[in-house]
Amino acid sequence: MKDRIATVVKNVPVADGIWSMTIAFDDIEEIKGAQFLDIKLPDPSKVLRRPFCICDFDKENKTADVCYAVVGEGTKVLSGVKAGEKLNVLLPLGNGYVPKGNKIMLIGGGMGTAVLPAVVTANPGKEFHAFIGFANKGKVVLEKELGEKCASVTVATDDGSYGKKGFVTTVAREAADVLKPDEILVCGPEVMYKAIRKCFDGSGIPVYVSLEQRMGCGIGACLVCNCKVKRADGEGYVRVCKDGPVFLLDEVVL
Amino acid sequence: MSNLKVNIAGVEFKNPIITASGTFGFGKEYGEFYPLSALGGICTKGLTLKKREGNPPPRVAETYGGMLNSVGLQNPGIEHYLAEDDKRLAKEDVVVIANIAGSTLDDYIAIGERINDSNADMVELNISCPNVKQGGMAFGVLPKNVEEVTRAVKNVCRKPVITKLSPNVSCIADNARAAEAGGADAVSLINTLSGMAVNYKTRRPVLANNNGGLSGPCVKPVALKMVWECFNAVKIPIIGLGGITKYTDVLEFMICGARAVQVGTANFTDPTAAYDIARDLEKYVEENGMDINDLVGTLILN
Repeated sequence: MKDRIATVVKNVPVADGIWSMTIAFDDIEEIKGAQFLDIKLPDPSKVLRRPFCICDFDKENKTADVCYAVVGEGTKVLSGVKAGEKLNVLLPLGNGYVPKGNKIMLIGGGMGTAVLPAVVTANPGKEFHAFIGFANKGKVVLEKELGEKCASVTVATDDGSYGKKGFVTTVAREAADVLKPDEILVCGPEVMYKAIRKCFDGSGIPVYVSLEQRMGCGIGACLVCNCKVKRADGEGYVRVCKDGPVFLLDEVVL
Repeated sequence: MSNLKVNIAGVEFKNPIITASGTFGFGKEYGEFYPLSALGGICTKGLTLKKREGNPPPRVAETYGGMLNSVGLQNPGIEHYLAEDDKRLAKEDVVVIANIAGSTLDDYIAIGERINDSNADMVELNISCPNVKQGGMAFGVLPKNVEEVTRAVKNVCRKPVITKLSPNVSCIADNARAAEAGGADAVSLINTLSGMAVNYKTRRPVLANNNGGLSGPCVKPVALKMVWECFNAVKIPIIGLGGITKYTDVLEFMICGARAVQVGTANFTDPTAAYDIARDLEKYVEENGMDINDLVGTLILN
């Protein structure tokens, strides 16, 4: 974990309100899937860094990608950063996801999909099947990137304007009966975790989720990004930034 | 001969930079970025007798030039601190200030007594956390309560006691006087300002707790004025905090009467902020061949 100055190589819109940024570092250490980085915004009125999952990385070229939706003031500032500009970036943060099984189902909901490519890159030799869902055709991202890495990619849209019509959770559940994955990793909004819990309950397949929470320090000191988990010693708060962001869905209190 | 050392209540700090309670955990995470010995001191996360879960998330909201937090004193409890963190911190060449909090006067007395068994060099009395429903704020508002809780802890605690003052009061100088009357060895100020962030789309506060404590560069002018007011009210040393992000901020606080300072929110913006400020301050003092203590309270009013 290090605080460093990096150079923006690329920062362009790739879908409706969604941007992709590539950042180059002088050196880059081992990155696990579902780890994140924390960017200091080039705007002194913003005192908090912005955490983003590492969408993908390239060890050889020492680059990391961030795929983000412009939703607030922070991401608006970020979208204004030009190629060639420097950014102060902290990475890699969080526990990350290291699959134990060999056949992994990846499920992404909306921008949660951005967690998935790095999981595949970090785990060569394993068989990944990606199921990604979006509101409509205009919001679809990372289909091509995942297609190049995964054994299969299935896209679903809520309104049916692209790929299969319906929620990705339903599509993935049906496919799981045929695919029989060893493990599942899900990243998306909380409502999706509730749906996943319902439809995979009793399946016996371990389901991991990558959580999101507003963060302060990003390194585990300030305790603002907590989420509630239920473990052998009872219910309690854990830090999304340090103990997570990846947790077993079974232990997360939704 | 330049000098960066300061002395608060008989405790020597190698420089006046201390990390503020609640922004630095127990030093473990930031210790991965730089040696804690580069700082004058560190303030621990607020400790209570029993483990506290804190408030539900979201617990943070960014605001213009600052942020609101509503952590609500989540901490593992004093016994966990004594078993897990105290010895590790004692090995570090840095002044350790244990921040303690309670909900009742009896809580403060019990934890003020228990902290004697720690290796902490000093104790900071948190009587002004705005995120705790019972106690907390109540003790920090009225001067008579500030005096009462300070005296109660001083009666049992063998370590120098710093009373941390809330800015959400009618006259902070009165509260500084009350802390001094209660036997405080020093005061630190300001704790966060009570505030709220609102989402116009949902018409709801951003924080699950609705209200939170405002910190960051936006509060600095308020803090500077309050430090100056307290400097003119008490003889005990003052530790100033509120929005410090660079070494010139430290100089301003010391000119207003602070003998040392705490760096809080800046740790979030830059994990090495406190370290960088200490190094920059050292360079400034060397270049000017000055004793940093000579700055304290030298404000010239217009």
